[in-house]
Amino acid sequence: MSGDTLNIKKLYALSSEKRRYCFPLPLKQTIRLGKRDYEVSLKADEKFGTYILWKNRKYPVEVIRSRQNKYEILFNDISYTFTVETPFSLKRMKVLSTTKGKAEKELIKAPMPGKIIDVLVREGADVLRGEPVVILEAMKMQNEIQSPVNGKVLNVAVKASMNVMKDDILVEIKPD
Amino acid sequence: MKIKRILIANRGEIAIRIMMTAKRMKIQTVVVRTAYEPNAMYLSYADRVYDNTEDVSEIPVFLDIEKIIAIARGTECDSVHPGYGFLAENAYFAQKCAEQGIIFIGPSPDAIYKMGNKTIARRIALAGGLPMAMGSEGNIGNEVEAVAIADRIGYPVIIKAASGGGGRGMRIVRKAEEMEKMFIIASKEAEKAFNDPSVFIEKYIENPKHIEFQILGDTKGNIIHLGERECSIQRKHQKLLEEAPSVALDDDLREEMGQVAVQIARAVNYYSAGTVEFLLDSDRNFYFMEMNTRIQVEHPVTEIITGIDLIEQQIRVANGESLKIRQEDIRLSGWAIECRINAEDVQAGFAPDPGKIESLSLPAGQNIRIDTGVKAGSVIVANFDSMIAKLIVRGNDRKEAIRNCKMALDKVWIKGTKTTLPFFRMLVRHPKFLEGSFTTAFIEKDLDRYYFNSEYEEMLAAWLATKLFIEENLQDDSINVDFQEGKEMSPWLLNKRINQF
Repeated sequence: MSGDTLNIKKLYALSSEKRRYCFPLPLKQTIRLGKRDYEVSLKADEKFGTYILWKNRKYPVEVIRSRQNKYEILFNDISYTFTVETPFSLKRMKVLSTTKGKAEKELIKAPMPGKIIDVLVREGADVLRGEPVVILEAMKMQNEIQSPVNGKVLNVAVKASMNVMKDDILVEIKPD
Repeated sequence: MKIKRILIANRGEIAIRIMMTAKRMKIQTVVVRTAYEPNAMYLSYADRVYDNTEDVSEIPVFLDIEKIIAIARGTECDSVHPGYGFLAENAYFAQKCAEQGIIFIGPSPDAIYKMGNKTIARRIALAGGLPMAMGSEGNIGNEVEAVAIADRIGYPVIIKAASGGGGRGMRIVRKAEEMEKMFIIASKEAEKAFNDPSVFIEKYIENPKHIEFQILGDTKGNIIHLGERECSIQRKHQKLLEEAPSVALDDDLREEMGQVAVQIARAVNYYSAGTVEFLLDSDRNFYFMEMNTRIQVEHPVTEIITGIDLIEQQIRVANGESLKIRQEDIRLSGWAIECRINAEDVQAGFAPDPGKIESLSLPAGQNIRIDTGVKAGSVIVANFDSMIAKLIVRGNDRKEAIRNCKMALDKVWIKGTKTTLPFFRMLVRHPKFLEGSFTTAFIEKDLDRYYFNSEYEEMLAAWLATKLFIEENLQDDSINVDFQEGKEMSPWLLNKRINQF
């Protein structure tokens, strides 16, 4: 990669919903909206912490996570995940994605930290979309975790009374 | 005044709220400092702080009846205000206070007990001929009995915990096959949450509005209502936004529902502040749901439109005074909206997001009231609720209140945890909210998205990601960094790096 850096003319930030933002290099301190360029700057002070100043308004920003070229950014209380790609890596990514095809399995993850109260499915069972698979207790509420797809249960990763973290895999399902 | 010193058996914003009124009435206050929040903001408002930081038990002191009473005695308090939650609706606690000669600022133990037990409350309402959803006579023993009742009243039905509240131990059942499972879940949840597995069944009212009436009574038998609050914006029975009055009521319906609310309160000789909750269906039929025998989180919206300090009234009634306000004195003026700004991640299904408030700036102004228990540097701890602040906004009418709310929301600045702000920013722009036709099903059914952002916000975030990428990979000396290794860093650490740019 280091060899390429000198020749990079632009970078792409791809959102998790596959929206693409292109920024020519060197990175400008302005962003175009309609026909006008507006100055954008990253600032920080004692009172507000880090923020972006844009059109006379301060927006709180925070970097929640950064790993390789992946950035999770909290902007005005909403989190966005981007991967930043060079024209070269973007091209390679496109090639990869067309050869991959559709998801092999659906991972049902814990939407919040909590405790497993009950597991309602077994390996090999058929489940319907919307069918509860696990009951998870969090903040004293019991939540039914439902299958997002019709399919067959490949693996049950949790047991009753187990504590789970957010995003821990609970059940794997092979979609029909 | 008999009441000279109040022990606040609570924390956070409500402790501060109570102390502000007490101070105005020249009554002293005592609060309890806990190990969870040794530097909490509410501590600085009290005349005296009882240090309980050596107690590191899992159960908060605010739930420990013996301890709270001992603290009240030890600090020579003549009265206790329980706030909301914790011991606020514990009849045994109210009874125990009375036995110890401590004034419980709230209703009688008998009223708390009767309204706290939903089956008893149901019987009282039925005996009074008051509008109720059809349902079981009392508690139900098993799923077979449940199915029999549901067959009689028709599906869908809702299973509720007899000792319940706040949405716990409630399950909707749409067909007989689901009954066994739901019965067991509801009963287990009820036992865990309320120490009482008993449940009962009611006809489930589809897509209702949640309308509640504020009640005020004294020990001489005077009971009045202070109009309604609209609390239909809720998720899993947790209220997020409340307003007063409600677009769904006209003067006639308000009068009718208000009278029923007063009758219910009268049936248990209610005194102090209380709330009678109703469901209102699309044909404007209303059904008594339950009575909350405490001051509620959303009480400020009623205070704004009536000009009455509900905490002051609670204290005066507890002091033995008669209500000075009569029903005909109550005038509802203007419109008030309350947003509960919680440390929750809206994008992750409102999962709690406890943490330290790194920076905080809240709007102020003529039409804005903020009730909060935190400041910059405060920590939202997982042991207590996730509330950061209540933003209460007034307008002359609903339209103006919403407009003021929208502006105020853009002035709230909170860093350190995720908050429910993006949800409210979406809500104040949603056509269904603007027209007022929303029901309790709004969040689950009418929303495809829980938050608002303008399209350029994502673009700005993308710009920042790109900037960081350049700083880390293309400019500095880290060009030889092994990208397979990856980098995990704390946002605050990274912040420091950004600051150096």
